[in-house]
Amino acid sequence: MNYDALINYIHSTPLTWLILTLAAFKLGIIIYEKFNKHTLLQPIIIAYVILLSLIIYTNTSFEEYFKSVEIIHFFLGPATVALALPLYKNLKYIKSLFLPIVLTLFIAGIFSIVIAVTLLWIFGAELPTILSMTTKSITAPIAIITSEQIGAIPSLAVGFVLITGIIGALFGTIIFKIIKIKHDTSKGFALGLVSHGIGTARAIEISEKAAAFSALAMGLSGIFTAVFLPMIITFFK
Amino acid sequence: MLKGIIVLLFFQFLGECIAKFFELLVPGPVIGMILLLLFLLIKKGSFVSLDNAVALHLRYLPLLFIPAAMGIITQIDIITKEFWAIAIALFVGTIVALAFSAKFMDYLTNKGEKNEL
Repeated sequence: MNYDALINYIHSTPLTWLILTLAAFKLGIIIYEKFNKHTLLQPIIIAYVILLSLIIYTNTSFEEYFKSVEIIHFFLGPATVALALPLYKNLKYIKSLFLPIVLTLFIAGIFSIVIAVTLLWIFGAELPTILSMTTKSITAPIAIITSEQIGAIPSLAVGFVLITGIIGALFGTIIFKIIKIKHDTSKGFALGLVSHGIGTARAIEISEKAAAFSALAMGLSGIFTAVFLPMIITFFK
Repeated sequence: MLKGIIVLLFFQFLGECIAKFFELLVPGPVIGMILLLLFLLIKKGSFVSLDNAVALHLRYLPLLFIPAAMGIITQIDIITKEFWAIAIALFVGTIVALAFSAKFMDYLTNKGEKNEL
């Protein structure tokens, strides 16, 4: 029996981290569903904690880990293209409230980036952090590829995206009650615009209409941000 | 489903090619997404094979962020140094943005309804 050869194989094959990553995510899904899909127990958060512990415990560098699971990362591209279909299906709702949708998309979309960036700037954060914050309200696949484009740090960007999603999903309903939002369409659109997919999962609990508007906002703001943000940032650089 | 997968990969490829050729700053996959949206609008509908390929990619979407997300272990310094700035920007920023977006849209919707009367 060749113990060294075995250990060597386990260390060098991408299968090890590939299996661990898929298993951690599957475990995340199981826990998420066991606890009635609680917002704080997102499958990715559970997978995140498990894998981060394993990476630190085994003293694996991020480069080594990333090389093993790069095939998963590759699918962000086709998955982004795939987002066109849910957007297409919800696009019919645009006609019913065209002006409110377009104006909210542009003005509130820009406002939400400006407020976060201003707060970071006031409290003395540095440029990489500020750039990574600009994609916080769009769906993670688009946030990752856009943050790579603008010279931000993709891992920070994903972290900010997830936390923004969770905060929005946790407090959305309470905020809407306090400031007396009348229309489900406004609630859904705001949730999708600010808190992307996690907000949309929450909007489903409000109503079907809220969910449709949330998905619509998420798709439109993803495109809107990815198209204009790189231009604006290059202009300022 | 193979046809659907080819469509997704082809539109990404097309998007990346357009971005490179015209030196666009928009990420290639997003151009691919816009092109697929236009394609669906022109064709006025999807087809089963594409529906299945899309479902396959979006069902486990969060799984696809994990490789990039793990890079956080290389950013511990920034996070500890700028912890409070980040925490305030995320928390206050999200709450204020959510309230503003919903209120703004509600206001415009109400105004539109009044105009119709």
